[in-house]
Amino acid sequence: MLRAAGRRFLRLGLEHRAPTAAVAARGYHERVVDHYDNPRNVGSFDKNDPTVGTGLVGAPACGDVMKLQIKVDDATGKIVDACFKTFGCGSAIASSSVATEWVKGKHMEEVLSIKNTEIAKHLSLPPVKLHCSMLAEDAIKAAVKDYEAKKAKLTAGNAETTQTEKVASA
Amino acid sequence: MLNMLSVFSVLRRQFLENNCLNVFLIMRRSKNCSLFSLLRTSLKELVYENTTKRGLWLSASSLVHEDLLLHPGIPSNFCINTRSFSIPAKRFARASNCRGLDHHDFPEFRVLNRFLCSSEAGSGELPRCWNCGGAAVSPGPFLACGLCGSVQPVDQSIDFFQIFGLERKYEIKDGNLEVKYKDWQKKLHPDLVHSKSEKEKMFAAEQSARVIDAYRTLSKPLPRAIYLLKLEGVHVDEEKTITDPDLLAEMMDIREAVEEANDSHALNQIQTQVEEKFEKCSRSFEQVFKMHDFDNAIAAIERMRYYDRALEEITKKL
Repeated sequence: MLRAAGRRFLRLGLEHRAPTAAVAARGYHERVVDHYDNPRNVGSFDKNDPTVGTGLVGAPACGDVMKLQIKVDDATGKIVDACFKTFGCGSAIASSSVATEWVKGKHMEEVLSIKNTEIAKHLSLPPVKLHCSMLAEDAIKAAVKDYEAKKAKLTAGNAETTQTEKVASA
Repeated sequence: MLNMLSVFSVLRRQFLENNCLNVFLIMRRSKNCSLFSLLRTSLKELVYENTTKRGLWLSASSLVHEDLLLHPGIPSNFCINTRSFSIPAKRFARASNCRGLDHHDFPEFRVLNRFLCSSEAGSGELPRCWNCGGAAVSPGPFLACGLCGSVQPVDQSIDFFQIFGLERKYEIKDGNLEVKYKDWQKKLHPDLVHSKSEKEKMFAAEQSARVIDAYRTLSKPLPRAIYLLKLEGVHVDEEKTITDPDLLAEMMDIREAVEEANDSHALNQIQTQVEEKFEKCSRSFEQVFKMHDFDNAIAAIERMRYYDRALEEITKKL
């Protein structure tokens, strides 16, 4: 009985050591695991809000879907908030999470220069998962494009209404 | 020793240059036992490397065979063959490996004269077994020899549909696949060649792996569709990101619904819905593929993959 108790102690000690060794040998990088375990900026903004740009992209190879939304301050053109929702592998989730962190506080033109290689390097993504970071880059660009399109439509709409008003008043 | 080596290199060159006559002269001239052994091994290697030069092999091996009779000093374990490389010289009259075919009946002797002058057998003929030289007798892909049972090297030109004897189209009768798959494994499985040569073990491993691949690809509709397109030379670009808002919005909704569904009843409902959509896509793929409309075929495959992924998630949750 003493021997069994002793063995149990040893096993506990071994278990304590083994997982860290296993993680170091192969598996996701600790940053990816961190983003997976402690998700930041997960959520949704109102799609119809004029200050929100929504980027919706997908990777047909793995059937992943990624939605990245940015809230832009109209006056300064700076991104004040960002959130994401991704259905896919750990690398895809981490890439979009990193993307939302990086775009916050930056100017819209600036975020267009974020490259997938930077995201991949930050997360130490293996070559087979590089397309996840590409997806994140595309999501950022799509969100910006969506915001600009919305803005353009709004200004066109405003121009029309002011014109009709002028015609009505004239 | 030097003499032998030089003769060997000359012999090799002659084989490669497809020069029959000189080869025969050299071999006839050699009265040396060890040279004969060398010739035998080199013949085996060269035949294996240059299997299209069958005419050479036939005539050369027949000549070595004839010379055997003229050289009584050759040790009795000298192995010679016209079909298999493992018939001991004393027993070649019975040719036990080849199902009782007598050496007098070997058709090669009849065509010997023809091959003496010609350089190459036609390469458009039936594939032949590397072990016994038998032609592929039964219809169907030549994965294992019908006569001696040896597993053949993988021929990449035989596509997966041919392995299962199916037409190259999307709709297949599913029931037959498993039966045929098991039939093939009964002939090709690596466990069966456990005691045979390294070469044959390698063939068995590759050939049975290919059959497994074929079975997996053809038994599910999505991989089958992708493979069909691949055979037509259309590569489904997997790295490209898609921004089709309708499909993506639909997928987002489905995936969110799956996330939020808490009981199996709701999940089953979603599952039936997605399965219906998958079926619809699958049927549309069949139609566009028949019309060779490959762009739409690729689009259909993308949709199918998304639905497939959603179904996987549902199954995981259930």
